[in-house]
Amino acid sequence: MGKAIINKKINDTFLRRALKNFAAAYPVARAKAFEGIDFEALRGRISDFKQAGLKGLPELVSRFKTQAEQTGAKVYVCSSPEEANRTILEIIRSKGADFLVKSKAMTSEEIELNPYLEKNGIRCLETDLGEWIIQLAGERPSHMVMPAIHKNKEEVAELFSKETGHDCPPDIPFLVRTAREALRGGFLTGQVGLSGANVAMADSGAIGIITNEGNGRLVTTLPDTHIALIGVEKIVPSLKEALDVIEVLPKNATGQKITSYVSFIKGPTGAGRELHIVLLDNGRLKLAADPDFSEALKCVKCGACANVCPIYEIVGGHVFGHIYVGGIGLVLTPFFHGFDKAEEILKLCIGCKKCNEACASKIDIEGLIVDLRDRIRKPMGQKFLFGTMMKNRKLFHAALRTAYLAQKPFQGEGGRIRHLPLILNRETANRSLPPIAEKPFRDLVAERPATSDQRPATREKVLFYTGCLADFVYPEMCRDAKESLEKLGYEVVFPQEQTCCGIPARYSGEMDVARDMARINTDVLLAQEADYVATICPTCTMSLKHDFQKLLEGDDVYREKSLRLAAKVFNYSELAARKIGFGSAQPTARSLSGVEGNVVTYHDACHLKRGCGVYEEPRKVLRELAGVEIAEMTDCDKCCGFGGSYSIKYPEISQEVLKNKMENIKATGVSTVAVDCPGCKLQIEGGLEAAGTGITVEHSATLVARKLRQ
Amino acid sequence: MIDLFQESAEAVGTVVKRFVSTADAVSYVKGLAGDASPSASYLPPEIAGAFAGTVFAAPAELADTRLCISFAQAGIARTGSLLLELANPEQRSATALPLIHAVFLRGSSIVSDLYALGEILTRGLTSAKTAYLSITTGPSRTADIERVLTIGVHGPKELHVLVLEGE
Ligand code: SF4
Ligand code: SF4
Repeated sequence: MGKAIINKKINDTFLRRALKNFAAAYPVARAKAFEGIDFEALRGRISDFKQAGLKGLPELVSRFKTQAEQTGAKVYVCSSPEEANRTILEIIRSKGADFLVKSKAMTSEEIELNPYLEKNGIRCLETDLGEWIIQLAGERPSHMVMPAIHKNKEEVAELFSKETGHDCPPDIPFLVRTAREALRGGFLTGQVGLSGANVAMADSGAIGIITNEGNGRLVTTLPDTHIALIGVEKIVPSLKEALDVIEVLPKNATGQKITSYVSFIKGPTGAGRELHIVLLDNGRLKLAADPDFSEALKCVKCGACANVCPIYEIVGGHVFGHIYVGGIGLVLTPFFHGFDKAEEILKLCIGCKKCNEACASKIDIEGLIVDLRDRIRKPMGQKFLFGTMMKNRKLFHAALRTAYLAQKPFQGEGGRIRHLPLILNRETANRSLPPIAEKPFRDLVAERPATSDQRPATREKVLFYTGCLADFVYPEMCRDAKESLEKLGYEVVFPQEQTCCGIPARYSGEMDVARDMARINTDVLLAQEADYVATICPTCTMSLKHDFQKLLEGDDVYREKSLRLAAKVFNYSELAARKIGFGSAQPTARSLSGVEGNVVTYHDACHLKRGCGVYEEPRKVLRELAGVEIAEMTDCDKCCGFGGSYSIKYPEISQEVLKNKMENIKATGVSTVAVDCPGCKLQIEGGLEAAGTGITVEHSATLVARKLRQ
Repeated sequence: MIDLFQESAEAVGTVVKRFVSTADAVSYVKGLAGDASPSASYLPPEIAGAFAGTVFAAPAELADTRLCISFAQAGIARTGSLLLELANPEQRSATALPLIHAVFLRGSSIVSDLYALGEILTRGLTSAKTAYLSITTGPSRTADIERVLTIGVHGPKELHVLVLEGE
């Protein structure tokens, strides 16, 4: 993705404000709309019937076609955008028409219908207010549900003034009234109407359209000929499933309980009227049969994955997506518009999984994004790093040790790195970085292998997997984790042969390398008997517990091993929480809340909360074992912008995400942020320090160890 | 059920009036119409009868009428929605074009939620005939400019529901 356009969006103050306000308002409205409704059950049903439908999609299409034809509609299945465009042009020409009025259809954007028709002498008029604005501006939508969210009222007023020839003030009610009047004529004179559909039912041949403005009803009513352009994946078996889609869509899209109009249309209603249903394939039937990516077609196009995405919030849909935007836009683009269009945008995802949590169809959007990177061409330079170095632990660790020496000249006061040479300098300007430690944790452990504190052999044994970042940058964090787990009654052993969990390789689309790392670590961690494997990095926890299984699914030897390992892997906070109330781990007498120094705020790491489903234990551990109170911040589980190498690839975006996080932290008034992730610590601490806030960031293990030392 | 319907409908900007007598409801609607000819979509005989003497707009005049009078087959309490059967395109235009839409709704036809409407919808969609079923909730709205909610973009700006409780 071009840095120029990213920077342009980042510096577009209106866009930033609009997206930020929406990001703040949306969760509130959404929660209210879903009050009293079991969202998990609802999206579970949608996911199930959608997935089942995809398995037999050709059959569903032919059932729908037969039924719809029985009602008197004409149905066309078009395999390509060209075919769909041509079909629509022919229908319009057969009516002797040269003017098409349209209500919103993302499929029309997908096949770029308007330019095609205009080229062939057909005038097109978008009547959805947002789409009309976009049409007048000659742009493309930046959100699937709110296409013109990036336009401010001044820009709209200018466009309307130009179009109507009257001077329009930037007054929203006035502008809406202007649109009503200007478009009315179009409805009354349009010869053919075109709409999309949100759902289509195979048992009745009916389609369902959801709108707010009322233009959908006018477009499907005033002209005698109605064309509905519908993606084949919108077909569901019957009304029962359609109702679930209608139930979820407006709530998840904009936080409305239901839109102003939901219309079910079956056949051409009225004498002399025609209904043409153009079913768009454009790669969908192939995708539906794809063993790895068919899940993407479960999408009901609610746009929620964009609404909650921290990166979308910074750059908007013109950067974060192609025609379809947001997380699912990244996934669908290669299939609908070609892999060449997708390569760059796929890198923009930071992997926070917020979208998965909100998805109306329970799609593992983030997982699909990661897997897709594996399918696209690999950039050259990665080869040595991932192909040779990562697989060889000694080589990799030797490189990290060399880096310790190389960084020395750049260390400033307190040993932190504030100025890096060359290009890295600009990109790290807003944060300070911790140096690579002189002695990684693995060396410290090797020097002092056994603890003198030998308790009975009945202690549960924990293998400690630190992860590279903690090992080489935060050895003291590892020490605190080991020491506190020991004090809580575990026997803790650090296997020296452990190596990188493979996530960086996986995120860069190097699945073979990731698979090798998974095998190496699985062997290392199963080599000795142990009750648990403890990690202090959530990305590693997620990788060991969930990703290894997925990566090694097809490996007859390692499939079973990966499952055995997964059952033992826990995050530090989970293991610590088990010991609350045992021996020396009596709940601490809590200090009065509000006392300076005893209140922290907690930042949920993306991979711990959404990657592992862990968010209660860390809070318990902080309260009961570290003896602190928690002042929760707004959006405590929203990404900090680190994302591993993301913060180096897209430092400008990463920094903006971090700014939002820092604002929320500062608003709590605390002086300590507790985290359970070395990556979050690195990112947030760096930002807070560069901004001179005096707020520190500590891993829970450090806070617990400190308390237990008292 | 009617209370919940009223609450939900008012929350999205619908004007809800409850009447024990159909005659009172009709005179309320006549008041909305003023001197101009209203348009109408389907009305059941007992309501149509009460409008004896009212001159309705002809199809060609629909674009200029101020008020449309309709009848809803059912209501949804949870969302304050109305189900309108609008297979006739002229009746459909009549409900979509004017500034004000006044809809009669029998209190007894209000169901709890969208799913409870399933049976009526299925009947409408699986019969041999063509169908156009519209679930209407509140006046036409948009938030497409700066996400500011604005009422009355392409459809009616006012939606009045006359709940008939006296059956
Ligand atoms: S994982 Fe996070 S960054 Fe990636 S698309 Fe989903 S919400 Fe956006
Ligand atoms: S992927 Fe999920 S959240 Fe995103 S638009 Fe589709 S259904 Fe909605």
